[in-house]
Amino acid sequence: MNIFIKQIAKLALVSVLLSVGYAAAEMTSLSDNDLSEVDGAGIGLVMDEFVFSHGHDTANDKVFRITGLTNKTGEAVVVNVNQLYIARSGSNYGTTLDPVNLGRLTNPYEIDLIDGDTIGLTDEAVLQFSAPKKVALAEGYDCLDAGAVIGSGTCSSRPSSASWLNGERPDMGLELEIRVGTEAPKNLNFQAKSAVFDGSYLRLWGDEDTNKMAAEFRLNFYTPELEISTCSQSDQACGSSVKMQDFQLELALGTTFQPLYIGVDNVTGGLTLEIPKITHEYINNLNSGVSDGTANGNAAEAFFTDYYTNSDYRSNIVVGNLAIGGENLGSAKIEGMLIQYLDVKFRDLTP
Amino acid sequence: MKNKLQLFIMIFFISANSSAEMSRIDDNELSEVTGQSGVYLSGEISINENGGPIDSASGNSYFGDCSDPDKVCGARLSFQTQQDGGWFVIDNIKGSIAFEGLTFQVRNITSGFGGDGALFNQSVMEIGMPESIRMNDFQFTLATACVGRPTELCESPQNAEFNQVDFMTVEMSGEMTLEGNLLVFPTP
Repeated sequence: MNIFIKQIAKLALVSVLLSVGYAAAEMTSLSDNDLSEVDGAGIGLVMDEFVFSHGHDTANDKVFRITGLTNKTGEAVVVNVNQLYIARSGSNYGTTLDPVNLGRLTNPYEIDLIDGDTIGLTDEAVLQFSAPKKVALAEGYDCLDAGAVIGSGTCSSRPSSASWLNGERPDMGLELEIRVGTEAPKNLNFQAKSAVFDGSYLRLWGDEDTNKMAAEFRLNFYTPELEISTCSQSDQACGSSVKMQDFQLELALGTTFQPLYIGVDNVTGGLTLEIPKITHEYINNLNSGVSDGTANGNAAEAFFTDYYTNSDYRSNIVVGNLAIGGENLGSAKIEGMLIQYLDVKFRDLTP
Repeated sequence: MKNKLQLFIMIFFISANSSAEMSRIDDNELSEVTGQSGVYLSGEISINENGGPIDSASGNSYFGDCSDPDKVCGARLSFQTQQDGGWFVIDNIKGSIAFEGLTFQVRNITSGFGGDGALFNQSVMEIGMPESIRMNDFQFTLATACVGRPTELCESPQNAEFNQVDFMTVEMSGEMTLEGNLLVFPTP
């Protein structure tokens, strides 16, 4: 019997080795080109019944502070985060923390690997993080109105309502207490009501020409009221504030053909933000911005015409009404900003 | 007879591991799979609370014991976004996070969500936030540096002294309010 078992074991071993022989496959690396052909499903993310709150409160054994900062004379600056919160609209400066949803099941936050060919990046794989997408007017809600109904705008996220209490537009707040040396502490608070980020996205890819990580960033931020105040934590509704009603930020940093590079200077160790100057491979076929009549010149002219007229590449900041200390100053707009070149370098000012 | 038996056994083992054709499982079939109803987790994650494995005694000039105020005792994560560029750093990560009631389960959604549930009508992976989450002396420092490892010299200018810019240190302790469920699902 033992001989029989040994025989089986020996044959099994030989068989397994044989089978490994024909099953073995050589591992090869995936190039950007190969990866750009991958078109799988993305990952949808929705936060259901979400509430977050934390703050510095030594009486209740809570610590939340930012240290390591100094002022220009070298004194330590300690920033106590009295409260950081995300909760349902109507939170009354973070004092009523009810749950909110972030993203919709039918239009969620997403992480996706997209084919660069579809967005003008030939043979590139692009990693995309995106907020809910904007939708057609008939299906959407006004981005600013906290009482918006369907058909009133292009935002997908819905405000809190009697029929859908959670809504998908959170109140968000950051309440800071800044202490410098022995001076009396100062407060600085940022509060946004019924905030919407629809249409925002971050795309990242490897730029083979520069060997840098390239990015295209769109930040859309809409709120019926963004308030910056110096009120104490116990009196958040004090009059010492700047209220920006119907606040819209549509920030466009980088494009597929003029990307944003985020990096660190290898000499100073400082943060760097860079957007290279706009150019085109056939720019020399233009005379005073007009094509020289060749196909290359026509391509360059079409490119620059799109560059200067396409609103997708431009940033806007619109405030419906600016109120300082309770005094209304009317509306303010900065529209159509086109960032043609950016080179920002951070330096350490530590004395 | 013996040779036939050997041949049979050999074929059995070869065919056993080559007979199954790989085939795709679509979402519909996968939705029929049932298993454990969910997972409930409690625990504590501690990162370098008392210092990492590299201490002052080893002669390291940067990392050391937490009792040494001139040394960094927490963990360090650094990454580079540009070839030959500087490094983004999350430095001095230390402290602990204790949680009770982190859950993982599959949830079938057919209603709710302000009418979206009925339209969605499929299963999702639900990650339930913990009933309680408490941080103990948790902290990290956001920084940028000329090289990834503080024990190395900068490459540009060559062999310059290690250079790091600390932006800020975030410190957190105590019970935190974190409620809700993260729903994860494939999108078309």
